[in-house]
Amino acid sequence: MRLHSLRARIAVVFVFLMLVVQTAAFLITNSVISSNARSNAQEQLSVAERVFRQVLHSNGEKLAQAASVVAADFAFRQAVATHDENTVASALKNHGDRVKADVVMLLDLDGKLIADSNGPALEGATFPFPTLIHAAQRNGDASSIGMIGGRPYQLVAVPVKAPVTIAWIAMGFLIDDKMASEMSKLTSLDVSFLDGRADGQWTVLASSLLPSKRSTPVNAAGLADENYASRLIKLQSPGEPVAVLLQRSLRDALAPFQRLRTALWFITLCGVLVSVIGSVLTARSVTRPIAALTRFSRRIGQGNYAEPLVVSHNDEIAELATSFNQMQEGIADREQRISELAYMDRLTGLPNRALFSDRLQQAIGVALRAGHPLSLMMMDLDRFKYVNDTLGHPIGDLLLCEVAKRLQASLHRASDTVARLGGDEFAVLLPTEDMEAAKMIAARMLKALEEPTMIEGQLVDIGVSIGIVGFPQNGSDMNVLLQRADIAMYTAKRTNTGFALYDEKHDHHSAERLSLMSELRQAVEHDQLTLYYQPKVDLATHTVKYVEALIRWEHPTRGFVAPDQFIPFAEQTGYIKTISRWVADKAIHQCAMWREQGIELAVSVNVSARELIQSTLPEMFQSMLQKYDVPAEWIWVEITESAILDDPDHAIETLERLRALGIRISIDDFGTGYSSLSYLKRMPVDELKIDKSFVMGMTNHKDDETIVRSTIDLGHNMGLKVVAEGVETEEMLEQLKEMRCDLVQGYHLSRPLPPAKLELWLHGWESNQREAANFKLDLPESIEPV
Amino acid sequence: MGLNKWLISAFLFCASSSPFIGANATCVRVQVTDQLGAPVKDAIVYAMPVSGKLPATKPAGAVIDQIKRQFVPLVSVAQTGAAITFPNKDNIEHDVYSFSPAKRFELNLYHGIPAKPVVFDNPGLVVMGCNIHDTMVAYLLLVDTPYFAKTDANGHADIDNLPADSYKVTVWHYRMTEPNTQPSSQVSAGSDSSTRFTLQLKPE
Repeated sequence: MRLHSLRARIAVVFVFLMLVVQTAAFLITNSVISSNARSNAQEQLSVAERVFRQVLHSNGEKLAQAASVVAADFAFRQAVATHDENTVASALKNHGDRVKADVVMLLDLDGKLIADSNGPALEGATFPFPTLIHAAQRNGDASSIGMIGGRPYQLVAVPVKAPVTIAWIAMGFLIDDKMASEMSKLTSLDVSFLDGRADGQWTVLASSLLPSKRSTPVNAAGLADENYASRLIKLQSPGEPVAVLLQRSLRDALAPFQRLRTALWFITLCGVLVSVIGSVLTARSVTRPIAALTRFSRRIGQGNYAEPLVVSHNDEIAELATSFNQMQEGIADREQRISELAYMDRLTGLPNRALFSDRLQQAIGVALRAGHPLSLMMMDLDRFKYVNDTLGHPIGDLLLCEVAKRLQASLHRASDTVARLGGDEFAVLLPTEDMEAAKMIAARMLKALEEPTMIEGQLVDIGVSIGIVGFPQNGSDMNVLLQRADIAMYTAKRTNTGFALYDEKHDHHSAERLSLMSELRQAVEHDQLTLYYQPKVDLATHTVKYVEALIRWEHPTRGFVAPDQFIPFAEQTGYIKTISRWVADKAIHQCAMWREQGIELAVSVNVSARELIQSTLPEMFQSMLQKYDVPAEWIWVEITESAILDDPDHAIETLERLRALGIRISIDDFGTGYSSLSYLKRMPVDELKIDKSFVMGMTNHKDDETIVRSTIDLGHNMGLKVVAEGVETEEMLEQLKEMRCDLVQGYHLSRPLPPAKLELWLHGWESNQREAANFKLDLPESIEPV
Repeated sequence: MGLNKWLISAFLFCASSSPFIGANATCVRVQVTDQLGAPVKDAIVYAMPVSGKLPATKPAGAVIDQIKRQFVPLVSVAQTGAAITFPNKDNIEHDVYSFSPAKRFELNLYHGIPAKPVVFDNPGLVVMGCNIHDTMVAYLLLVDTPYFAKTDANGHADIDNLPADSYKVTVWHYRMTEPNTQPSSQVSAGSDSSTRFTLQLKPE
C-alpha cells in the first residue's frame, strides 16, 4: 500500500481521527475520573463529617439520656437531696456502670464536685467544664469533648431535679482507639482524635489507624498528606482544643477509578485497533472499486469497449460505475460514428479513401503472406462534370448513389470492397481475384452501368472507365498500385474501351521511360540528335527565305524517334532546357554557316512553353547570336498558343525581351489553342502559322476553309505574316495563293531536310523557279525529301 | 435600687378590712418589679416585727391543690407550723414529695384528699414535686410570721392587719437569682406605708 494512495490516506486520516478522539476521550474521562475521585473523596469526607457529627451528637444524646435516667431516679435524687455522699458516690458508680460511662460526677449548683465515680472525690473542687453546665442550664442537657487527666472524654451534663435542679450529673465516655475504630466503621474513613497543643502541633489522642501509621505530632500543614484526603473538624471542647481528623486514603478512594482507568485504557486501545482495522477495510472497500474503475477506464483508453463494469453495490461508487458504463457506451457510439465519418463516404455509404487504403494495405499484406493474387480497380464516371454542371449537384449526388448501388450489386464476394475515393472516382478491391476475374467483374460492372438511369424524371446515361491492376505483377506497394490503376483508367478513358489493364507504355514513370530519359541524355552528349530544316515558300515571290528547324533523333537501336515521343517527356522531366539550348545553338550555328556560304535563310526555332516562362531564354539567345555573329533578325522563335496561355504575363514579358533583341516571333499551331485575341494583340508577334489540321481539311470542309481564310485576313489586318502548314497538294497551294497567304510549308514543297540536302533542294528550287519564270510554276517531282 | 423608685408608687394604698385586728392595725403595701421594671407576680412578701413580738396564734393552714397535673397555687406561703393539705383533684394519682431541708416528706400515690395534712415545722423553702409527674412543681415558703402576702399580676401585695410596729419586710421569689439573700426593708407600720422591691430574676 503506497503511502500517498487514497487507501493509505483514508486509513491514516481515520486512524488519526480515532486516535485524537480516543485520546481526547481518554484524557477527558481520565481527568473526570480523577476529579471525580477527588471530589468523591471530598464528598465522602463531607458525608463522613456529617455522619461523624451525627454519631457524636447521638452518642451525646445517648449519654445524656442515660444520665437523665440516673438523674431522674427517685432514690438517687433522694440520696443527692439528703447529701448522703457515700450513697451518692456508690449510686453514681452504679448508674454509671449501667450506661457504661467511664466517668460520672455529681456537681452542686455552684459547679463544685460533690461526688466522683472514679474514686474519692476531690470534694469541693471546681468542675473543669463550667461551660458544659451553662449549656445544660440553657438546653436541659449538653455534651462536649473534654480532657480529663490527659485523656479525651465525651462529656454530658444533665440536671438532677427534685423537682427543681438541685445538682448536676456529668458523665464522660472515654474516647479511645476502640471508639475511633467504631467511628471509622460508621464513616468508612480513618478517624483520629487530636489534641491541639499550645505550640500549634497536634497530638493523636486516639485513632482508628494502626499506631505505626499515625504521625505524631502532626502540624496543621502535615495534615495535608498527599496520600489522604483529610478533613480536620474542631470539636466543641472547653480548654484545650480537640479536633477529629477524618482521613480517606486516596489510594483506596481511587482504586475503583483505577480499575475504571485500566478499563478505559483497554477500551481506548481496542477502539484504536478496531478503528485501524475498520479504516483499512473501509479504505479498501472504497479503493477497490476505484481500482476496478481505473482498470476499466484504462481498458476504455485502449479502445476495449467489450465488457461493461459489473455494478454490484448500490452506492456512490456504483453510480460512478454506472456512469462509467454509460460513458463507455457513449464513447463506443461516438467512436463508431466518428469511424463512420472517417471511413465512410456520407453520400453513398461506401467506404471512403481512408478505409479503402486501410483495406488495400491489409489485403496486400494478406496476399503477400498467402501468395495469392489481388486485383484493384480504379474508375471514374465519364462526363460526370457535365452532368453536375447541367443537371445540378443534387442530381449528380443521386447519380453517384445509383452508381454506388450498381457497383456494389456487381460484387458477389463479401470481401470485395467498392469505395468512393472522392468526386466521381470509385475504386474496387478484389482481395483474392486475379486479373482474369477482375476483367470479368469489370465487364459486369460496365454492363450494370450501361442501363440508363432515371433520376427525378431525367434520363441520365452514364459511362465509366475502369483501370485494372494486379498484385503482384503490377507492383506490391499500395501507392504504386493505386497510381498504376489510375494510369490504366486514363488509358481506358482515352481509348474508350471501358476498362484497361495497366500497361507500362502509358506510364510516364515506367521503367521504359526512365531508360528513354538516360538515352536522351546520351543522345545529346553523343550527337544522336540532328536538326532538319523545312523550307517556307513565299507564295508571292516563289522564293525560299525561311526554314523551320525541326529536331530529329536517330536512335541506334530504335531507329527514328518522333519529336512528339520524347519532347513532352523532356518537358516533364525538365530536360527540355538542355535540348532547347542544343537546338538553338545548332540552328544559329547553321544559320551562320549558310550565311558564310552566301545562302540567306532565316531559321525558326521551336521554343516550349516551359522555356518561355524561364526568364533566361533571351540572354541565352543573345549570347549565341554573338557567339556565331548572326544578326537577330535571321532568327525566329516559334511558340504554341498553349505555351502563352499557361502564364500569359511571364510569356509576354519574355517574348518582348526576345523581340527587343531583334528576334522575330511566330505563333505556331494557330487556331488550336482557344487563344484570346486580346493576348494576340498584346504580344509582339510577327507571324501566324495556321495549324495544319485546318489547312489539310480546307479542300474538303468549308468550315476549315473559312477558318484559314479568316485567319489569313486576321493576320494581315494585324500586320502579320501568315504561314500555312501542312500543304500537301498543288490544289491547296493554289487555294492558299488565291487566299493571299504569305508563306506555305509542307510535304508538297519539301519534307524537313538535313542542311546538305536542303542546300541541294534549294539549288533545284531556284533552278526550277528560273525555268518557271520562263514557263510556269511547276513543282519538281524529282526533288522528294529523304 | 434607688429610693425614688419606691416613691413613684407611693400612691398605692392598703385595702385591708380585717375585723379581727384592732382599729390601729395598719397595712404595708408592697410593689415588686423585676430588673426590667416589670411587675413580678407570685413574689412572697412577709413582715417580721423588729421587736420579735409575734402574736401567739395558731398558724393558719393552707391548701395546695393538684389540678390538671399542676400544683395550684404554684407558690404558697405559710407560717411555720402550718398544716397544709394537698387535695388531688385529678382523676389520676399523684405522689407528692419534697427533699427540701425544711421539710422532707412523701405522700405516696393517692386520690382525693390525704387523710392527714402535712405539718411544716421548720421555716424555709419547701419545693414539692410529684414523683410520677416530673413537670409538677410547687413552692411553699414557710415564714416565722403570720404577716405575709403574695403579689398579684401587678406585682402588688398588701400585708394587712399589721399591728403598729416596725417591721422588716422581706421579699422572696422562686426565680430569684440569689435565693439566699432575700431583699428586705425596714418598715414602720404606724400608718399605711409602702415599700418597693426590685428583684433579679432568672428567666422562666
